[in-house]
Amino acid sequence: MDKLLLIINEMREEAGFESIESLEASMDLREDLQLDSLMLAELTVRIEDEFGVDIFEDGIVQTIGEIIAKIEGV
Amino acid sequence: MEKVFLVHNDIAYSYQKLLLDLNNKEYEIPYLYVKDNHPYDVFLGIVHSLLFDYPIEVLDGDFSEKEISELGIDVNALTLKSKLKEHLNLQKLDEVMQRVKDIENWQLTLYTSGTTGRPKKMSHTFQTLTRNVKIHKKFENDIWAFAYNPTHMAGLQVFFQAFLNQNTLIYMFGESMKKIPALIEEYQITHISSTATFYRNVLPYVQGNTFYMVKRVTFGGEKFDLLLEEKLKAVFSNAKMINIYASTEAGSLFTAQRDTFEIKLEHQQWVKITAQQELCIHHSLLGHSKSLSLDSEWFHTGDLVELVDETHFKFQSRQSDMVNVGGYKVNPLEVENILMQVPGVIDILVKSKNNSVTGELLVADVIKNQEMDEKELKKEIKQYASIHLQEWKVPRIIKFVDELPSTRTGKKVRK
Repeated sequence: MDKLLLIINEMREEAGFESIESLEASMDLREDLQLDSLMLAELTVRIEDEFGVDIFEDGIVQTIGEIIAKIEGV
Repeated sequence: MEKVFLVHNDIAYSYQKLLLDLNNKEYEIPYLYVKDNHPYDVFLGIVHSLLFDYPIEVLDGDFSEKEISELGIDVNALTLKSKLKEHLNLQKLDEVMQRVKDIENWQLTLYTSGTTGRPKKMSHTFQTLTRNVKIHKKFENDIWAFAYNPTHMAGLQVFFQAFLNQNTLIYMFGESMKKIPALIEEYQITHISSTATFYRNVLPYVQGNTFYMVKRVTFGGEKFDLLLEEKLKAVFSNAKMINIYASTEAGSLFTAQRDTFEIKLEHQQWVKITAQQELCIHHSLLGHSKSLSLDSEWFHTGDLVELVDETHFKFQSRQSDMVNVGGYKVNPLEVENILMQVPGVIDILVKSKNNSVTGELLVADVIKNQEMDEKELKKEIKQYASIHLQEWKVPRIIKFVDELPSTRTGKKVRK
């Protein structure tokens, strides 16, 4: 979760947004974190670079918790 | 109740209002450049130009001044207008349709990202733009989800199909994905046309529901995605799924069920596939352009295809450097030229990376000035890109490198 926060904040910082303090499993990527499809695409690449997992490979990821599950291979 | 022309941001614009605004608009403008690409104003501008039969150039409302001047347009010309000599007092939409049939001078000009730097100007007549539009009484109650950029070819195709049948358009482009199932339900949408990227992003919100009233789901602008189609079939169980090949150069040309496109009988002599398997289109099927390079009357699309039989083909890949980010074609050269101007950037290579959300995504390798801090420079490159380029042209991942690969002729290697 900490690493994921780091990745998301790095992305936000580069895009000129404020960083966020913490992540929760229930957070919705689109609604709570306001990621549009281009930012989701970017996040996918960053996570794949770090963890070797393509989180959107089968199409349906909505929350932080689901990303964690994919990374952990649950 | 008055028939609704367009719903955008919960506001309904009726066909009556459209008529009134058409009657009241006293000026013709050569450039349609609408702030925020507000769809009602874009469509009003297009219909007005048709009605008064004058040519119009359509620009994206989010173009920066830099991008406009790259197109070769004087920024001051955007505010040009001239007073109309004729005044109309239209009462019925049928009168508009009647006048549209007799147009002579009208053409609509779009800009396409060219493969060699500067964007190309493509002018279309009403005939090339509406080649695949079907007008029939049986379509009169169609309700369209509008999920394309209204100033691009695909959006114009949907617009004309809906408008010429006097249908209702429900604007969804740029809308929060969460709202989309409610919009489909509330307005009883029958037709949806969009990119694979749109469907992939909307899928989490529609999955588990079934929208029986949707009769047709159309894909365009991106490579066909079989897995996605399977998933959408569960949601839109009554819908026919259609795949469309359209381009800024040619308008809408081929349709497919699944991934096999059909070359229509009337187009057969105007379509050829080279020995290198590149799809070529005869200039008679294209819009008009001074800057389009033709090989003895044939336009090379840069799309590599595989012939299935005499009248059917499948797409393989693209030959050129053009990158398709979520249905938008980007010329990496254009992006490089702009970002070379960021202080601290010595050289830059912009290229594509495959992506499961948007098909492809732009990434950049940068050689930087030694004194520059990496973090700062990344931020500055992105900021500069966001100001001067449309959002899908912004490289999302930036890496710093010591050297960039090049071919023996000194060209950058983009693979």
